[in-house]
Amino acid sequence: MTGNIITDFFNYYIVNGGYMFELFFNHLLMSVYGVIFASIVGIPVGILIARFSKLSGLVITLTNIIQTIPVIAMLAIMMLVMGLGSTTVVVTVFFYALLPIIKNTYTGISNVDSNIKDAGKSMGMTRNQVLTMVELPLALSVIIGGLRIALVVAIGVVAVGSFIGATTLSDVIIRGTNASDGTVFILAGAVPIAIIAVIVDIILRLIERRLDPTRRKKAPSETNHRVQTIN
Amino acid sequence: MEQFKKVFIMVLTALLVLSGCSLPGLGGGADDPIRITSLDTSESQIMAHIVRLMIEHDSDGELNPTIINNLGASTLQHNAVLNGDANMSAIRYSGTEMTGPLGQEPINDPELAMQTAKEIFAEEFDQIYFDSYGFDNSYAFMVTKETAEEYDLETTSDLEEYNDELRFGVDTTWLNRPGDGYEGFTEHYGFSFGSISPMQIGLVYDALDTGSLEVALGYTSDGRIAAYDLVVLEDDKQFFPPYDAAPLATKELLDEYPELTDTMGKLDGIITTDVMQQLNYEADGQGKEPAIVAEEFLEANDYFENLESEDHS
Repeated sequence: MTGNIITDFFNYYIVNGGYMFELFFNHLLMSVYGVIFASIVGIPVGILIARFSKLSGLVITLTNIIQTIPVIAMLAIMMLVMGLGSTTVVVTVFFYALLPIIKNTYTGISNVDSNIKDAGKSMGMTRNQVLTMVELPLALSVIIGGLRIALVVAIGVVAVGSFIGATTLSDVIIRGTNASDGTVFILAGAVPIAIIAVIVDIILRLIERRLDPTRRKKAPSETNHRVQTIN
Repeated sequence: MEQFKKVFIMVLTALLVLSGCSLPGLGGGADDPIRITSLDTSESQIMAHIVRLMIEHDSDGELNPTIINNLGASTLQHNAVLNGDANMSAIRYSGTEMTGPLGQEPINDPELAMQTAKEIFAEEFDQIYFDSYGFDNSYAFMVTKETAEEYDLETTSDLEEYNDELRFGVDTTWLNRPGDGYEGFTEHYGFSFGSISPMQIGLVYDALDTGSLEVALGYTSDGRIAAYDLVVLEDDKQFFPPYDAAPLATKELLDEYPELTDTMGKLDGIITTDVMQQLNYEADGQGKEPAIVAEEFLEANDYFENLESEDHS
């Protein structure tokens, strides 16, 4: 350590490169797992409550309540049930990721123009065909938006997971708070967490934009065709 | 509807398969055979990684222990092992164990303390408390090399002669602590200090180095002792309780993997307080991750392979 924060910061990665990458990967993996499980449950639930709108109030209130629990309290509660370690963190991430995913799926599907749905029906589509061929494609960008928010939340939740024994980038931050001069440690742990969040946000935002039906680029003939049908 | 059913069945099978195994790439599931607890100190994390790497090395990569990191106190380690979240601890300090999880009176004789702790762990909890790694992390008075030469200091009793002349720096909590605190110290050694500056314990080493203090009370395995070339004064009247560092494992785990006893035996008494100071300094002073420090240390010592062959010959 030379005392110059910027050189020390980069030295930290040069000296610990391999292990820091392992932590980085572990951190990202835990967030992704939690979000994947949440979307396996959340997207069908979102579709369901869009169809049976009486359920929507109840489900969204429930997930809203989960969101109000502080992360550290939630981790402590989950720790009592499931014990220490990374599995507990993944389950906690799952709960926090539910709200954005369910809510966005619900909003995306219920905002599909009812005229378009009716057009589908009148062409003889079954309910499931309307869902898979009309509603889901049109709602896809909103659903991806939900995943994006969920993943960014997840990265923050995983960071707290260090307190229940999971190996995350926060290990480095905690070591920094214990050392007598820990600025470099704290930065070395905090900066990559921020970087993961920003990168994930940018990538999913690009996907989201690409899937947005109002912005989707079409071949000229197709565009003409579409204009005609709408008219 | 047919298609919907297919998707539903697929998702269900996928979920069942996933819940059956621990998440790939993560480890740390309850089905990982070896789970090692570690405190939130660099020292404990270095030792946890040393134990992990030794086990991986000796089992030729078949056993991959998971580390449960950042537990705040030894009681947490004890509970984690008791309720099955973990089945090994990288470091348990004999003194902490006696007064903390085991709820005993402190014992000042290091060997007796270790022996008593071992017996209680074996009898009450079915856990094996191994022999010490060879270092301890207890309180001790320390001075700079120059001060030691100037006043000819070697033991804590040597301080009595100069107690009004020298400036002392101690941990804030130590001043008012019953038992092994300042009050107990004055009774045991029969002298008090003229000038005392209470401060956070992390600061005393720098204060010694810059010359704001002549004598400080610090932890014996702190990396800055080696870095600043400090001299640790011997606790000749055995006032401070011993905090010998040793690993712990459940009997169940050792019965299942008997080879672990050999692996842990290789670490027995091998890491002296001086070595630990050096390792701690690499982690805290030079900014290396505990995992890297442990790996470099084991590679430099060839994973204590030679030691084993010496034993057999």
